[in-house]
Amino acid sequence: MKKQSLEKRLNQVANEVRKLIIEVACRSKSPHVGPSLSCVDLIVSLYFYELNIDEKNWKNRDIFILSKAHAAMALYAVLALKGIISRKIFDSYFQNNGTLPAHLDRFAGRGIEVSCGSLGHGFNMALGMAYGYKLKKDKRRVFVLIGDGESQEGSVWEGALFAAKLGIANLTAIMDYNNLQGYGRPTEICHFEPVVDKWKAFGWEPYRANGHNFTQIINAFKKPHYGKPKIIIADTQKGKGVSFMENNLKWHYYIVTDEIREKAMQDLCGDIHEEYSN
Amino acid sequence: MIFMRNTVINKITAVAKENKNIFVIAGDAGFGVLDEFQKNFPARFLNLGVAEQNTISFSAGLALVGYKVFVYNIIPFVMFRCYEQVRNDICYQRLPVTLVGIGSGVTYAPQGMTHYSVEDVAIARTLPNLTILSPCDPQEAEKCAEYAIKNNGPVYIRVAKSGEPTVHQSKIKSIANPIIVKEGHGVAVLFYGSVGVEVIKAVQDLKKLPWVISIPKLQPLNFDFLLKKLKGVHTLITVEEHFVDGGLGSIIGDWLARDRLSFKLKKLGIKNEFIHAIKNNAGMRKHYGIAADNIKIAIREAFRNG
Repeated sequence: MKKQSLEKRLNQVANEVRKLIIEVACRSKSPHVGPSLSCVDLIVSLYFYELNIDEKNWKNRDIFILSKAHAAMALYAVLALKGIISRKIFDSYFQNNGTLPAHLDRFAGRGIEVSCGSLGHGFNMALGMAYGYKLKKDKRRVFVLIGDGESQEGSVWEGALFAAKLGIANLTAIMDYNNLQGYGRPTEICHFEPVVDKWKAFGWEPYRANGHNFTQIINAFKKPHYGKPKIIIADTQKGKGVSFMENNLKWHYYIVTDEIREKAMQDLCGDIHEEYSN
Repeated sequence: MIFMRNTVINKITAVAKENKNIFVIAGDAGFGVLDEFQKNFPARFLNLGVAEQNTISFSAGLALVGYKVFVYNIIPFVMFRCYEQVRNDICYQRLPVTLVGIGSGVTYAPQGMTHYSVEDVAIARTLPNLTILSPCDPQEAEKCAEYAIKNNGPVYIRVAKSGEPTVHQSKIKSIANPIIVKEGHGVAVLFYGSVGVEVIKAVQDLKKLPWVISIPKLQPLNFDFLLKKLKGVHTLITVEEHFVDGGLGSIIGDWLARDRLSFKLKKLGIKNEFIHAIKNNAGMRKHYGIAADNIKIAIREAFRNG
């Protein structure tokens, strides 16, 4: 596929995912729309480009763990578009007697690799899985998406400190750095920066990318591991794709009403974002 | 003297040659205990250092790719410090990870409260899918290790510190159900773990003998099996080196209430308080009324009031 058309296609898929998120958030009246929208482009890049994930070879698929599992709507929407879970199951999200909870339960649906919801767990399970595959000489790779707020968890740094020594070059962590957590900005709440230097000092191979630019995301996937675990620090915007939600803390919590949905859909159904259209 | 912790690890080491999925994780503890496993199976051994949260989640990750993981550490570092990791990553996901916790009760006395494990059963009881095993002597410890090796879900084995004398004089077949240690009548002493030796001492020279029943498997507890063994019994005495409220006494109390059973219940255990007393293990048992003499008094009282 040509570079231009790949980007265009990923952008179209991401737009569809965002529409699904708004629809399902409105139907369920569940929060966490903003943090779901910020990581859409990252998850789409994984499932529609980077991951070896093939129905015919399901047992050898690459693993993706959504450690910031409050963004589960983004994962569910991608799994539904990819056909890994059915639309019926997707539509039952957050409903009484439904199938999919707001945070991940690995017994709830296909393609949900681990149960997650409390921050600072999925990252460490990913390390264990990657090390396990390495020992078993299994070619499967492990990708894990963490939040920037999540990166304040001590467990993340416990894991980071040990990972480099384990030589898990089959592991890629991605930080959804939207710089808006539950009640403020990481860069204001704590001494968050220089975040790339921190991971480098812990023995990781860090790369920084614009988390809404598919060329940059894919280039970061292609960067070598040099025998180390890799982390992609992806600069993103909370609420990305819906103009009035972008970079706005309240969309960590606010509910999508019918009226909000209409307005959001006008943004999402419009032309493909300018930055990708030329 | 045989150590329960060695018994458990030796069993795991013996099986690891055949079972290539057995993996042992240490948390910067296990000096002299894990050496043999580490020497024979270096690829399936990791010391994840002083990082208990990562240790548990990492173990869950290994289990997710097919390993049968044993995590070895003192009890506070497999159950307290990392409770949420045990809850979400191991128990919620029903993974084959066994937590081998050392230093049950006040066997570490006088190391101080931070090192005691007098509420771990109460905490572990809140975790569905978790099998809780607390052996009273090396023979039970070996059976617990066998049970954990065969089990496909989460297991917690709590063992004492070191040097536990034998409680069972004859061979035991399994720890899956309560085990009759001595036959008696009227009164039944129910216990688990390291305090078993005090119970045996207590009944040594009694004229009226109570039933003595070891309950190494606390969760799930086979109540139907236990009830069948309690024919003609009017009083139950629970003895534990654990907080008196929250452990076996509470498990039995809940059962009696749930099934509307009319046994009298006397609970012997450590008062639910932070321990400031400086005493060794034996002194601490006397201090909290779970030594052989205290148990003897409780048995005699139970016979008198029966």
